[in-house]
Amino acid sequence: MDEMDVLYLALCGVVLLVALATLSAYGAGWSYIAAVFTLLTAAFIIAMNWADFIVFPAIMKMFSITFQPAKGYAIVKNQDAVVKNVGGLYYATGFATGNLFGYTFKAEQEEEGAEDKMLHASENWERAVMSLDFPFKFHVLSVGRDVQKVRDDLEAKRGYQEFQLSRSLENTQASAETTVTDIRRKISIIQAKIDRISAGEKPISALMYFETTAVGVSEKAALDALSDQIRRLQIGMSSMNMQVTRVAGREVYALLEMNFSTPISVQDITTEFSTEG
Amino acid sequence: MDQKIFALIGLLGVSIVLLIIAIGTPQSLIPSPLKIVLLIVALAFDAIAFTSRRYYYMMVPLLRQRSKNIVLSNEEPYWLSSSGDAIIRRERDWFIATAYISIPFYRSATEMTDVEKLEFSRQMSRLVGISSEPVRFTTEMYLMNKDAYIQELHDAINQAELEEAQLASGADTEKLEIARGKLAMWRNIMQNASAVQSLEITSYAAVSAAGAKEYEAISMVQQKARDVVAGIGTTLGVTPSVITGSAILKFVEPEYLIPFSTVREQMETKTEEQVI
Repeated sequence: MDEMDVLYLALCGVVLLVALATLSAYGAGWSYIAAVFTLLTAAFIIAMNWADFIVFPAIMKMFSITFQPAKGYAIVKNQDAVVKNVGGLYYATGFATGNLFGYTFKAEQEEEGAEDKMLHASENWERAVMSLDFPFKFHVLSVGRDVQKVRDDLEAKRGYQEFQLSRSLENTQASAETTVTDIRRKISIIQAKIDRISAGEKPISALMYFETTAVGVSEKAALDALSDQIRRLQIGMSSMNMQVTRVAGREVYALLEMNFSTPISVQDITTEFSTEG
Repeated sequence: MDQKIFALIGLLGVSIVLLIIAIGTPQSLIPSPLKIVLLIVALAFDAIAFTSRRYYYMMVPLLRQRSKNIVLSNEEPYWLSSSGDAIIRRERDWFIATAYISIPFYRSATEMTDVEKLEFSRQMSRLVGISSEPVRFTTEMYLMNKDAYIQELHDAINQAELEEAQLASGADTEKLEIARGKLAMWRNIMQNASAVQSLEITSYAAVSAAGAKEYEAISMVQQKARDVVAGIGTTLGVTPSVITGSAILKFVEPEYLIPFSTVREQMETKTEEQVI
């Protein structure tokens, strides 16, 4: 969650809290109904914040709503594919996440056997690609970050955590022990990142995903073939230790847009997707 | 961004006003059932306000069109620049130009030593961090376009059929047999060509730049593309080039991944099988 998410959540949460605090205004009996509706809205907001990729497609499927993002393209009601009709043939395009790196930069220590993995990466990739007999694209959208700025940010974070640690050490309560352990772990992670930058590693923000297209004489045939291709992609890429998850919902629209232009700034990427940093 | 904030403030404002009317008005003026209706509408606006964070792009068309097929845009998604080295799209008041750079890298891991494999992986790690601007690197596998070859085969079959028809009425059985053999040969070649899928793999990078005018966006993206070309060249030791003309379509349009004529025969055969 970024700052904007927190702002939206806080502002909309205030309305819900006001509604809950004034239930008596609806009169005896009716206040229960008001409470139920308020709690349902709260549940919807929470679901849209953390699992909108499930909620949004479910709603669109329920009402059979499709979108036309551009002339000739249609996002299907399941919100997991884009269909284009060319000369009577249907081309269905789907997207799937495929994070190749793992979250190594967020790890406390560098993963064991990292060099061994790198040694076999190219061979594993070739083997995985050879096992696939349909068109696909593997995209890596990356931004090299300013090393000094990232280092300064990390040092500032470490300084803040060290301040928190000294305050927690002064606290004599039993619960402080857990807090101290937690803060020490956070300091250790930040220090590991600083050490890796010092060793010459360049921090990047990256977004990796697959795109595959299937063709069919009808929309259903193309969509069925697409689902089959994504399943085979998941199996094929398992040798790379890569989790391939089909993308659904608003991210399909954002990824289709990225076919015609890449994001201009880092901010554009972080607004739509969570990134590795 | 600004529009999103305005939408949030507007929707929350409506929600708060309705809520105040529901809780602040005495029951003698608004009975409880009506108050509940007001509360439900206020909560709906609150939920829509929250949803506008991520789904603003579809809210206005959804409310305006109120149909099952929501048209977010009825325009072509992009057009080719006059210089032919970028595609352009318009986003509100901005033009966004995107250039594609081919990465000619033809080495296979099977012909590398362990040291070379490790170095190659390190090169790839360095490659994704060459620019402080977003760059998209792509490996694309697509069906080889056999359209021209298949057309040639169609022409040869037509020619052979014509030859056979002309000879069928005559008495020269030897020439007729040769013509029939030729026709069978072309048909077999055609069947094999369309039955087997040949795949190609290519790698490229894409970079975009925005400008208030079309030429400004193109000029900016050309500059960015030159930087990326230099970065890729230095990192991988290859000679990348900016892709121009209709070759760009292979990276953008789905039908170029699976060429029409190349798959038509297969599609027809599959359909016939399904019908049978």
